[in-house]
Amino acid sequence: MVDLPKKKAGIVACSGEELAEGTVSRLAALKVLERLRPGSTVTICLPLFLAGGEGDRAFARFYPTIAIDGCELRCAARATEKYSARPTASVVVRDIVAERGLPPPQGCRRLDAAGLQAVEATASRVAELVDEVLGKPWSRQGDSAAESAPAEEAEPVEATCSCGSGIPVTKLTIDGKAVELIALRPILEQFRAAGKPPDATTAAELLNTVKIYNEVPEAAEASTSTALLREYARFCADKEGE
Amino acid sequence: MSEEKRKVVIVPCSGIGKTYGTVSREAAYEVTEEARPDQTEIVPLALLVLGDEAARVTVAASPAITIDGCKLMCAAKMVKESGGTVAKEVAVLEVFRRHKELKPKGIVELNEAGLKLAKVIADEVVAEVDALIAPKEGRHG
Repeated sequence: MVDLPKKKAGIVACSGEELAEGTVSRLAALKVLERLRPGSTVTICLPLFLAGGEGDRAFARFYPTIAIDGCELRCAARATEKYSARPTASVVVRDIVAERGLPPPQGCRRLDAAGLQAVEATASRVAELVDEVLGKPWSRQGDSAAESAPAEEAEPVEATCSCGSGIPVTKLTIDGKAVELIALRPILEQFRAAGKPPDATTAAELLNTVKIYNEVPEAAEASTSTALLREYARFCADKEGE
Repeated sequence: MSEEKRKVVIVPCSGIGKTYGTVSREAAYEVTEEARPDQTEIVPLALLVLGDEAARVTVAASPAITIDGCKLMCAAKMVKESGGTVAKEVAVLEVFRRHKELKPKGIVELNEAGLKLAKVIADEVVAEVDALIAPKEGRHG
């Protein structure tokens, strides 16, 4: 069976170097990625939206993404929206510090005690948002019936960037327009491996699977379905010819 | 404005998913906070990604030294795309190849070898900063 990329929450931090809150954003992101929600989150370096490839720019279209910004400029949230897709949620460290009545963090290179408090508060809030955007309470065992546990830590892992992770992007012509679809290739591979015929009996299932990873406007469903079936038929024919 | 007062812009990639990104960040702080605080300034890469006008003006007006943690060289690319001049591109991996004994580990917190590697990189950056801000007559004897 072909493995489709697993739906996780994407975390994008500004990591601003000139502000202590930027360091807070970075360390809070890492705390979520490595300790609070290691199995449910992925990250990418912000500049890869420009310096990387199409797969990198597809990040926020594939993963529901939470932006973590240090200050009101909101570089992570705005750049993610500009180059990839609008983040599903975003937080600003300064807002969280103010809401919780914490002292302002100090120390870009080495955070002071207030900075570490801000990391905890921000990471805890982001962990809650991860659960919300994935639509499930979190548990160490992955038991969806478990109560949400935003502050609980799991077995730590080391965070890794999703750069070049190759979120597969395919361009299809639908209604005369080039449309980028995420994860289409592994979906077609999965359908073929399951022996599904490239005909009308498969069309609805194919469209519904594609819609898990892509936004398809209701008005474009019929034309998208036709294009998908055509692509699947071509894919199967190519495979048989190999 | 005199040559002596010109600042050198330091842009680390601060890559979040690799230890080499943390090394780049640590090296940049070592230069801008400890070694040459009056001659250098750090420009956050996130501002350049967003196209922040003030950040673009800063990198366009001053020579930049970029410190990148991986082969994608995001910091160098973004400075160039922002209209800046990269006086030196430092690749953490390239420095590590010359100092294999300094194997960095950790992203949140660097191990001792990682901190030493960052110091080696900072020293190289400082040498370049000094060359860039030296008066012309001094540079050419």
